[in-house]
Amino acid sequence: MKNPIWENIVYRKKSELSDTMQVLAKVPIFADLDEKEIVEIEKIVHRRKYKKGEPIFRMGDPGLGMYIIVEGSVEIVEELDNEERKHLADLGNGSFFGDLALLDESPRSASAIAKVDCDIIGFFRPDLVDLLYRKPQQGIKILWALARIIGERLRRTNEQLTNLQREVKVRKNG
Amino acid sequence: MDKETSPSSQVSKTIWRIFFILLAMGFLFVVYPYIKTVFFMIIISWLLAMIVNPLVDYLESKGLNRALAIVIVIFIILGCIVGLMALVVPAVMSAIDSLTTKLQTNLIKDLTVQLEQTFEKNFNNAALARDLISKGEQLGGEMLVGIGQFLKNAGAYVAFIGIVPFLTFFMIKDKRLFKRMLISQVPNRYFELFLNVLQKVGNQVSKYIQGQAIDALIVGLLSVIGLFIINLVFDHPVPFSFFIGMLAGIANLIPYLGPIVGAVPAIALTVLNNPGNVGTVIVWIAVVFILVQIIDNNVISPLVVSKSVNMHPITVVIAVVIGGNIGGMIGMLFAVPVWGIIKVTLKEVSWGLRSYKLR
Repeated sequence: MKNPIWENIVYRKKSELSDTMQVLAKVPIFADLDEKEIVEIEKIVHRRKYKKGEPIFRMGDPGLGMYIIVEGSVEIVEELDNEERKHLADLGNGSFFGDLALLDESPRSASAIAKVDCDIIGFFRPDLVDLLYRKPQQGIKILWALARIIGERLRRTNEQLTNLQREVKVRKNG
Repeated sequence: MDKETSPSSQVSKTIWRIFFILLAMGFLFVVYPYIKTVFFMIIISWLLAMIVNPLVDYLESKGLNRALAIVIVIFIILGCIVGLMALVVPAVMSAIDSLTTKLQTNLIKDLTVQLEQTFEKNFNNAALARDLISKGEQLGGEMLVGIGQFLKNAGAYVAFIGIVPFLTFFMIKDKRLFKRMLISQVPNRYFELFLNVLQKVGNQVSKYIQGQAIDALIVGLLSVIGLFIINLVFDHPVPFSFFIGMLAGIANLIPYLGPIVGAVPAIALTVLNNPGNVGTVIVWIAVVFILVQIIDNNVISPLVVSKSVNMHPITVVIAVVIGGNIGGMIGMLFAVPVWGIIKVTLKEVSWGLRSYKLR
């Protein structure tokens, strides 16, 4: 029979920890890390709750790091000059965004707004830099995966650009 | 309108927050006399943690367990401190005894005669010379008794030496845990701003403090080497050259005034030691300290001390004077770093408020 007192303190805490680790293990940036290394990441990430409509970050803010959605839905929008918002994407459970901010402090290119109440994990550049000093092998694995993701995005962008150029050429030629 | 986000609810929340902050400040003010020692220990441990953290990170990057790396670094530092104390304290104690005897015998008599003659000749007032000597004797005696008492109480600092490494260990080991606990209390609205500013301030302050520690160590070692050479050349006129040299290194943390604070004990002890060529030795001591300052200002300091906390000389002098008024010598030592922390924090908070769209 389950003990109602200890179940709440010990069991739930353990399950919460493993919950964060399970989510982290599925993120492509941490794909090369083993379980022990994921435990290290779990120690430096920040888990936060956002209410529906609450901004996670705003376009133009200095980039600080990436976010992973544990539960909920996040809308990525571009903030236009006339205070309107242009919808760019909707992200759901397990998705990550803002990963370019792991590399530098360039301003965010879009805003991220919680569509519903969200449970989110944040992983930030200062902690990655600190990890690179303390555990260089682990840090390199993360950077390597990040480079792969950015490379993949660049490849797709190139493809789209080539397709667009081809389309423009076809239209010009009539 | 949602009750939680209504303006009146926001205002009452802010009022409650201000009330609790004031209450906490009042509480701290009342209990401060009782927690003063603990507070001082926490500050020292925090500074020590910042100084040794890069070394711990380095050992960890070489595959060592973090806790073990901290223990190794702390033991090495403790070993150095205890070793130095074991070498220096007994020597200083016996020297103070001998100097006290000297002060009460030949040297004072010689000085009295010389001063009496000078005052008689120039001002026709020998009594003034006797008065001055007796005042000086009293002051010198009190100082020596004070230093002696301080060193005799060294046993009382054993607890301090035991607790500080303990606090330092956990401050380094659980640094990230403390940071996460603090950040978890910050509302989402200010989360990124707070994290970014905290990180920037932390980086700059730790770099500054590490730089100051390295600078003090190098200045101390250079002063020791200079005094050691004087002792070799002039047949040991400067007693406790190691102790004085390292004291000069620590005093060097006080800008502008530090070098003087460092040189005075060396000259005073040499005068009290009364070697044959006292004038020449004093000139050489001054040369050593001036040379060390030139090397420090032009080579060491620009290399190791972070420029992020650059301050105008007027600000530095004002900070040192205020620090001295609040906490004496210790206050003077901490004045510039504390002002540096305040300056960096204000700069970064202002940057954060300008850069982030606070919604």
